[in-house]
Amino acid sequence: MIGHKKCWTVLMVILSIHFGYGQNVVRYELTVTDTIVNFSGKEKRAIAVNGQIPMPTLTFTEGDIAEIVVHNKLKEGTSLHWHGVYLPNKEDGVPFLTQMPIATNTTHTYSFPIIQNGTHWYHSHSGLQEQIGMYGSLILKKKESDPTFRKGIDDLPAVPIILSEWTDIKPENVHRMLHNANDWGGIKKGTVQSYSEAIKAGHFKTKLENEWKRMLAMDVSDVYYDKFLVNGKEESQLPQFRAGEKVRLRISNGGASSYFWLTYAGGKITVVANDGNDVVPVEVDRLIIGVSETYDVVVNIPQEDTAYELLATPEDRTKSASIYLGNGTIQLKSRMPKLKYFEGMKMMNGMMNMDGTMDDMGMDMSLQKMDMNTVMYPEITGSTDMKMDDKMDHANHSMKTEQDLVTLNYGMLKAPHPTTLPKDAPVRELRFELTGNMNRYVWSMDNKVLSETDKILIKKGENVRITLYNGSMMRHPMHLHGHDFRVINGQGEFAPLKNVLDIMPMETDTIEFLANVEGDWFFHCHILYHMMAGMNRVFSYEEQAPNPYLPNKEWAYKKLQKESNEFHFMAENDFATNGNDGMAMLQNTRWSIGTEWRLGYHDGHGYESETHIGRYIGKNQWFMPFVGFDWRYRKSEGSVEKNIFGQGNTKDTRAVASLGAEYTLPMLVTLQGEIFTDGNIRFQLMREDIPISPRLRWAFMVNTDKEYMTGFKYIVTRNLGISTHYDSDMGLGFGATLNY
Amino acid sequence: MAISLLLSLTVCIAQTNNKKSESLKIYGNCAMCEKTIEKAGNLNNEATVDWNKDTKMAIISYDSLATSKEDILKRIALAGYDSDIFFAPDDTYANLPECCQYERAKKDAHNMESHDMKMVNDHSQHGAMSQDSQDKNALSSVFENYFTLKDALVKTDRPLASTSAEGLLKSVKEVQMNKLPMDVHMVWMKVIENLNEDLAGMVATKDVGKQRDYFMSLSKNMYEVMKVSKSQTPVYYQFCPMANGGKGANWLSRDEVIKNPYYGAQMLSCGNTVETIN
Repeated sequence: MIGHKKCWTVLMVILSIHFGYGQNVVRYELTVTDTIVNFSGKEKRAIAVNGQIPMPTLTFTEGDIAEIVVHNKLKEGTSLHWHGVYLPNKEDGVPFLTQMPIATNTTHTYSFPIIQNGTHWYHSHSGLQEQIGMYGSLILKKKESDPTFRKGIDDLPAVPIILSEWTDIKPENVHRMLHNANDWGGIKKGTVQSYSEAIKAGHFKTKLENEWKRMLAMDVSDVYYDKFLVNGKEESQLPQFRAGEKVRLRISNGGASSYFWLTYAGGKITVVANDGNDVVPVEVDRLIIGVSETYDVVVNIPQEDTAYELLATPEDRTKSASIYLGNGTIQLKSRMPKLKYFEGMKMMNGMMNMDGTMDDMGMDMSLQKMDMNTVMYPEITGSTDMKMDDKMDHANHSMKTEQDLVTLNYGMLKAPHPTTLPKDAPVRELRFELTGNMNRYVWSMDNKVLSETDKILIKKGENVRITLYNGSMMRHPMHLHGHDFRVINGQGEFAPLKNVLDIMPMETDTIEFLANVEGDWFFHCHILYHMMAGMNRVFSYEEQAPNPYLPNKEWAYKKLQKESNEFHFMAENDFATNGNDGMAMLQNTRWSIGTEWRLGYHDGHGYESETHIGRYIGKNQWFMPFVGFDWRYRKSEGSVEKNIFGQGNTKDTRAVASLGAEYTLPMLVTLQGEIFTDGNIRFQLMREDIPISPRLRWAFMVNTDKEYMTGFKYIVTRNLGISTHYDSDMGLGFGATLNY
Repeated sequence: MAISLLLSLTVCIAQTNNKKSESLKIYGNCAMCEKTIEKAGNLNNEATVDWNKDTKMAIISYDSLATSKEDILKRIALAGYDSDIFFAPDDTYANLPECCQYERAKKDAHNMESHDMKMVNDHSQHGAMSQDSQDKNALSSVFENYFTLKDALVKTDRPLASTSAEGLLKSVKEVQMNKLPMDVHMVWMKVIENLNEDLAGMVATKDVGKQRDYFMSLSKNMYEVMKVSKSQTPVYYQFCPMANGGKGANWLSRDEVIKNPYYGAQMLSCGNTVETIN
């Protein structure tokens, strides 16, 4: 399936073992190169390591010394982070936090002792490189002499499995589009949740209430992907397994932003470890693996001459990827039915207050136990075709819903040994609210992005206890570098150890860890695009020794902060029969620099532009005060137009500065008030993206200068729309809208 | 004439280029199966499937550059029909209309076996338990029927809820009060009227929403009884704050895992255990 066109790098994994001082040094050579791949029928740029995607599986045994030599042949810097591994801070692989980026055409060696065992993975921590190939399995084997060695589990044949996804759109562009609320992904996924779809589903009121509460259509995931991959393939087979055998799958989710459901055609799935830490085996029908989590599961091969499908379905259920275990006729697993988005919307409406905060209605939600998304799952709540309650009886007979499905949650994870922290250590309590704003794709903690916060100082030897509340509308896999934390889940002293905590909307969870390795450690949402939007913090040990790889830490931290608060550009122009209508915007977390223009084809229609520089205020970012500048030229024989306040204005030549503010009203209508240096006042109501049908958008504008506009746009491709609009200045027009 | 000849020639060439045709076995029964199989297999400009219900053979023609035999058979298997390359998912097969429940290509021995075992198990357990508890607790059949009723509401199964309510009403009437211990007797006297009322209402209505309303007060009274009468297996008193229009409502369950009877599948997992009765 993958056509690596150019593999001019010699594939070399030199694995040399030295016996010195009684410890094995296990060495890998990794060469990072640009490559061209074809996952979807189109050739696209990707990054390969030793010529392959995913990166090669690295295997060590507890007690080894890892030595990993990275040759960077890219035209940009890179890095490798060892996810979930205990190591000295300088080996952690976060550019500008624990080292400088590995510069182009240079070599960097990571070296650290392996002091734990379990299933982990590794990935680039530079920009968005992880999305285009830089992820791989990292298996740390348990010694057979280990007192925790579990006969019947740790001696089973084991296969590393790494899940991921592929998009044909450059990840930088994906990121930019997310920030501009571009709904092309929604169109591709069929999740626009437009008014026409709402009416068809009998949910017009739901949609109306949703927009009244100023919410854009919600999805369980943000990005449209062309393919989902298991070990780099959409479909593959491991024929070596025979009937009666048990197989241990060491599964890592190396996806940049996809949660995956795991289901198996050969029966129950037994979970035996999570995030590289053993758990007491628990049998389930399915589990969801959060972005960057790892799970070790054991499955059976029940019958001869049959291969059984392990199905990985992304949470949005748009597609899936499979690996078949065994040899023979393939026993398929049924596909997960499409989500009932309007049911989810209805539930969200119920939980959302008018001021943009959420109300959990007194339910103590935590640990994935009460999955609100369940309302959207047809396999639990019945098929969408059966709408009303009185039809439910019928539904129960013809469609067997599977209410007895056992789905894993964090409450079911139990460590095999006590994991309690030292009792006499001082306790440091921290609390974070996860905050976000889907409309502008701002993701933060306590409404602050990394660039607005300092490092959080902690002391070596303290027990750090963190309470997290997710007040945003999406789930977040929060990852801590360099430490495992206990998840307080009701298992008492057997609380499981993890390094990624998936936290669903409205949940509150508590985690705790002993601060035992000094350094600067990243704590962030592992959804790549949330991380790059600033949902990060750094825990910094007080009085730590300097890091030889990073002499100027203050400067480096500023670089790190800047990386996750970049300006994103967007532009749009409607080339219409009655003129050009367009805008360009440059925005980051708080600031917006935007200009709009209307350019006629002759002096009678005139030319005008309005430029605003504003700052978004508050968590919901509904309010934006701005300063502006308007310029206009028109030739209309000096007639004076009056606004509804009776203020006159020739409108023919005008160059004025202004002071104003924008506020998002219910129904997502923008109210703009502006006072100009010539004393004129203008108020304006506008909305441009009312989703009438999946591809049809309605726009309107009306203001106190007695100007108005209304129009429709039909979205043809990611960058092209066909539009028609009527404008009080320029009349009726048809045209093509190009957008970037 | 020449042009049309030329045209048909090019069409021929275009078609023969990468068009493939194969005859394959697909398991199925009837005309209805035929419709489903062909619908699942067909794809515009890529594949056509023609299945014969007598021979069970399908002629599949496809564009070998755009798709493959495996892709087509996979789609058909996902619609419920076995072939020599893919077995349909068990739940998809089970959901086929009755006339389409063809004899499967795969050996289902182990499945059948475990299923039988389970059945036997269930049965014996059931028998043993009712025997046992009759001696121990005069209210056991009341509790038993309450849990059946609760499960029916969890599944939003109105007819089953009605019959369970009838069963419960019957067992409530059959309780020999003189056999109850003193404290239980007292509580029973207090709630019996309400129990009868709620159950009669539940039997009478055809609306699952109304049944749930009755179930709220029924559960409260049942809790009073269960609290004093105790139980050999733990019973969990559970609460969902969303039920009853946001006022919240309780129920009893033998299972610690939350299965909410007030919303059916809608909010199945809403709630938490507020008390464990042992």
